[in-house]
Amino acid sequence: MDADTLLLAVVVATALVFDFTNGFHDTANAMATSIATGALGPRAAVTLSAALNFAGAFLSLEVAATIATGIVETGAITLTVVFAGLVGGLAWNLLTWYFGIPSSSSHALIGGVVGATLIAAGTSAIKIGEIVGKVLLPAVLAPLTAIAVATLGTYLVYRLTRSVPERARERGFRLGQIGSASLVSLAHGTNDAQKTMGVITLAMIAAGTLGEDAGTPLWVIVASAAAIALGTYVGGWRVIRTLGKGLTDIETPQGFAAESSSAAVIFASSHFGFPLSTTHVCTGSVVGAGLGKRLAQVRWGLAVRMGAAWLVTLPAAAAVGALAWAGASSIGGVLGVGVVFAAALLLSGLLYLAARRRPVHAGNVNDEWSGGLVPARL
Amino acid sequence: MKDGIGMNEFLDLDALWKVLVTSLVAGVGLATLFSLALVGLSSGRVSGRAGAGACLLLVAAGIGLGLYTMLAA
Repeated sequence: MDADTLLLAVVVATALVFDFTNGFHDTANAMATSIATGALGPRAAVTLSAALNFAGAFLSLEVAATIATGIVETGAITLTVVFAGLVGGLAWNLLTWYFGIPSSSSHALIGGVVGATLIAAGTSAIKIGEIVGKVLLPAVLAPLTAIAVATLGTYLVYRLTRSVPERARERGFRLGQIGSASLVSLAHGTNDAQKTMGVITLAMIAAGTLGEDAGTPLWVIVASAAAIALGTYVGGWRVIRTLGKGLTDIETPQGFAAESSSAAVIFASSHFGFPLSTTHVCTGSVVGAGLGKRLAQVRWGLAVRMGAAWLVTLPAAAAVGALAWAGASSIGGVLGVGVVFAAALLLSGLLYLAARRRPVHAGNVNDEWSGGLVPARL
Repeated sequence: MKDGIGMNEFLDLDALWKVLVTSLVAGVGLATLFSLALVGLSSGRVSGRAGAGACLLLVAAGIGLGLYTMLAA
């Protein structure tokens, strides 16, 4: 195996690890409310979501390479830049998972690529307008749109079904919630697995193993689908707990309204080509579900912390991406990329061990929220 | 904003309002139809059940349309 092939292999492996973290970070988007209301058991929820994410990855093969090429000049993209960008996104995904903060994997990846490109090729290679239009402004607009839809939806759901007996209402909305959460899972697989397919395809084109007009190879599609599905199945319980139990106390009608709102906003944004983060939409919907029910309480302190994390996503991932590029370049070649890859794996392992000391898992994810992420019952 | 540099420079306002309106109609519509279906089913009347069936058909059609539009995009 020559050096270029080895470099490409490391980049592909990093992309698949990123895809895996994307899956377990975003399980909460579709399933947090279903788990919180008991519409689905925790294990059943992540299994269903994993299967739908896997299926969704095959539904649309319009490769989303624009995730990177739209925001930086294509000529600036090298294998090392792609690798460093992935490391930046990966680091932010893992850090926010540790603290149980729902955060956009797309924005983290974009931040990583921007940081690596910035230090590799300078400011002229960055398309500032595209970043403002495709990342920063949508980060504000996505939750606001979802809040509006979910608030109105929740209000109407309670208003219209006030004459329905409690048991029938509970059972009906549980079924509805499973359906709407499944839709969000499918949409997530369709949109998010393509990010990794796009990145791997981009890396293969940059390495010269694929022609510029070549389609995505089947093994890339299967590997990306499997990585995101496996990540989803593992279940990012820390983020699930924050979204399902932390923001507000959710009942089945609220969960149904929140998931319906999320599905509608995601489908609409896909159709009209207006990029909105699934995470921002789903979080906004949960807040809206809290606002739409009379006397329900939204924990605004937590919501504000999430908003702050979203604003920091781009610069934080960019800083790690830049650092990764600088580290890999200072050593040079495959060895440089290999050393950074090994360091990233080591730090990820340490974070995982730290999380194991105060774990959130399927057994305690639904415990009463008492102000902190980790329940008293470990 | 300076001359010639408006919100449209950064943001596709046309797509934005379409997303807003479509999301509101689809999200709120779906929740409303499903709620009406539950009301119909719990009424115990034949007309209520028929109305519930119609609402659920519309929900299914809406989901199908949503999937189609997402994949067609």
